[in-house]
Amino acid sequence: MNSLAEKRFAYTILVGPAVVVYASVILFPILFSFTLGFTRWSGFGTPEWIGIQNYTRMLADPAFRIGLRNNMLIVGVSVFGQIPFGFLLAYIIYRKMVGAHSFFETVIFLPITVSAIVVAKLWNQIFSPAGVITQLMRIVRDDPRYVFAVFENRDLAIFPILGVIFWYYTGIYMVIFLANLHKISPDVIEASIMDGAKEHQILFRVILPQMTNIVFTTAVFAIAGSLKSFDLIFAMTGGGPARYTEVIAIYMYFNTFRYYNYGYGSAVSMMIVVLSLGLITMLLGVSRRFERRYS
Amino acid sequence: MLQRKIFMVVAILAITAGLTFAGGRREAADGRITLQVFHYLDLADNTSVDNFNEVRSAFEEAHPNINLEFDFLFDEAYHNRLQAMAVAGQLPDVMFLWPGKRTGDVTGAGLVQDLSPWIANVEDEFAPAALDAQGPNGEIWELPEQITATHVMFTNERLLDELGLTFPETFEELLAQGDVIRDAGYIPIAMDNAGGWQMQSTLLSALIERTGGRDWFDRALVGDASFTDPEFVRALEVIQTLSEENMFTPGVNQAEYGQALTDFVNERAVYFIDGGWRTSNLASELTAEQQEYTGYNVFPRLPNEQGQPDSTAIVAGTGFGMNANLSGAQADAAWEWIYFFAGPQGSRIKARQGWLPATVEGAGPDAPLLTRKLSEFLATTPGGYVVDAIMDAEGMGVLHPAIQEMMFGVLSPQEVAQRYETWVAANDSGRR
Repeated sequence: MNSLAEKRFAYTILVGPAVVVYASVILFPILFSFTLGFTRWSGFGTPEWIGIQNYTRMLADPAFRIGLRNNMLIVGVSVFGQIPFGFLLAYIIYRKMVGAHSFFETVIFLPITVSAIVVAKLWNQIFSPAGVITQLMRIVRDDPRYVFAVFENRDLAIFPILGVIFWYYTGIYMVIFLANLHKISPDVIEASIMDGAKEHQILFRVILPQMTNIVFTTAVFAIAGSLKSFDLIFAMTGGGPARYTEVIAIYMYFNTFRYYNYGYGSAVSMMIVVLSLGLITMLLGVSRRFERRYS
Repeated sequence: MLQRKIFMVVAILAITAGLTFAGGRREAADGRITLQVFHYLDLADNTSVDNFNEVRSAFEEAHPNINLEFDFLFDEAYHNRLQAMAVAGQLPDVMFLWPGKRTGDVTGAGLVQDLSPWIANVEDEFAPAALDAQGPNGEIWELPEQITATHVMFTNERLLDELGLTFPETFEELLAQGDVIRDAGYIPIAMDNAGGWQMQSTLLSALIERTGGRDWFDRALVGDASFTDPEFVRALEVIQTLSEENMFTPGVNQAEYGQALTDFVNERAVYFIDGGWRTSNLASELTAEQQEYTGYNVFPRLPNEQGQPDSTAIVAGTGFGMNANLSGAQADAAWEWIYFFAGPQGSRIKARQGWLPATVEGAGPDAPLLTRKLSEFLATTPGGYVVDAIMDAEGMGVLHPAIQEMMFGVLSPQEVAQRYETWVAANDSGRR
């Protein structure tokens, strides 16, 4: 056996099993789902090939468009809300701008330690027509039939959920940023203070350039996580009322597991992947620009 | 070609898995038969679990030669797993099924046995409505454990007396009671519709029976009539009027299922619209005195009714069915359990929890008061179709949110009807 053949044999033996496992649990389901996205299949019989009909139907469905809009709003809150605010909180704690910073660190991180389902039920209990806040509002406004109208508005119903998402996930970003801030040598900050740098200059000229990578990494997580958000919203509203708070993952779940449209559900799942990859690619483009600017 | 190859691989994997993991039904050397049973049960509901265990113990005592191995799931999880097992060709020996479209994919795929040959021997023991055909050729896939009225207007007669009112004869009278009830600080009609299905199943279905009747629905089902017809639109208009007149629980479309029951039990509402299945909850939540003054009524008469007056909506209940592959002693053993569960013996045990059985002996004189009231209600109340029992489930994903939007004032009843008809015409299996 010559050395090239030996190498090939060694690679096959060493890498082969991992490739087989990876292919069977990752590649095969993705390819199967991708193929299924071009069929009509209820789970029984032979799938019927229908080309891109599932995709055209999806784009024409108002319920899908509401889901898409809601997902984009969640991406917006995650990328432009949770990440900057998480960073700001981490910076305040890192620079010890408040007393009892360990306490605040714990309090801000606390929500993420609770199950999403528990959080959903908790907020439901507060804002439901039988909830505490609603009852208080009825007393304050002297209106026994008062309910929060925002939940019944097509354009606004998602906003209370965005608030919960913001509250729930910001802590995790704060902890990630805080851990990375602690990696920055204190000497750098001390040196900049001695050079007369103001706080905002320290933040924007010294700290942020060193945090670019981690900011964009968290943004990738935020986008991917936002597009597949399901548990919290499903437990809070189930996508209702009138599908106003539905997101694409809930739309996919209903079509696949409630109406048994496996082909259509697969097409929707592929759409989530495409959207996720598209947004992450855009983000990488922006990231490279920033890197060039700071380098 | 590529997709065919992929599906071949999947099929081979599924068959291999089936062969590897098969072996649910076994007949031991001593003749004892073991069956796998998949049951729909909420294990967090202690009342239901205790009641079920009582039925199971009684069966095991009466049939020592049959060993049942149970697996439990509830709600969507049950349906998802049942569907997955059906697709993989691994259905259990006995499984819990619905008479209508809820488990229609499984029953319609030839995977479940028609129970008619066994039922023929015990037909006289069941109420005729319970043995309505469930399949296109008269098949009965599951033996219903009860008959379900999806619309009951539970009434707190003590509150009515206190307010100087009587149960309204007509829709107009009901609307006129609204101010009196609200001014006294009560909710006129407790309902919760966050899930969307409640308004359709527990009110709209009964209203359609009044405005159109079964004949109209039969025609709409196959496309000889349309859901844009006045029969359907008028039923929607009743719901719209009730909503506009603030007759429902405030925020009815935000209220989770169970809130209306709580309002009624705590005597914050005069009327409570829900299905007859709520009897078991009311029997355990209401005091003996409250049960005395809880009335079982139907929605008051509408102007110009076309269907059966004073009607509700009725559907045969759920029950167990058996795997199409069972035969011989295994099939007989499966039938023993199916019959025991829904028949007179199991029903007597379940009646103690407030269930109204599908057997002709009904609730019996020893049943709880509310069970007897429900029994009388069903004996004297005609019933129409339940929409989601005969129309495709996916269409409910169009109808339910549209009704909610109508209640928000976004859509008119005509627009709701048009939206639903468009979907039905293009997709519903009844129109194909």
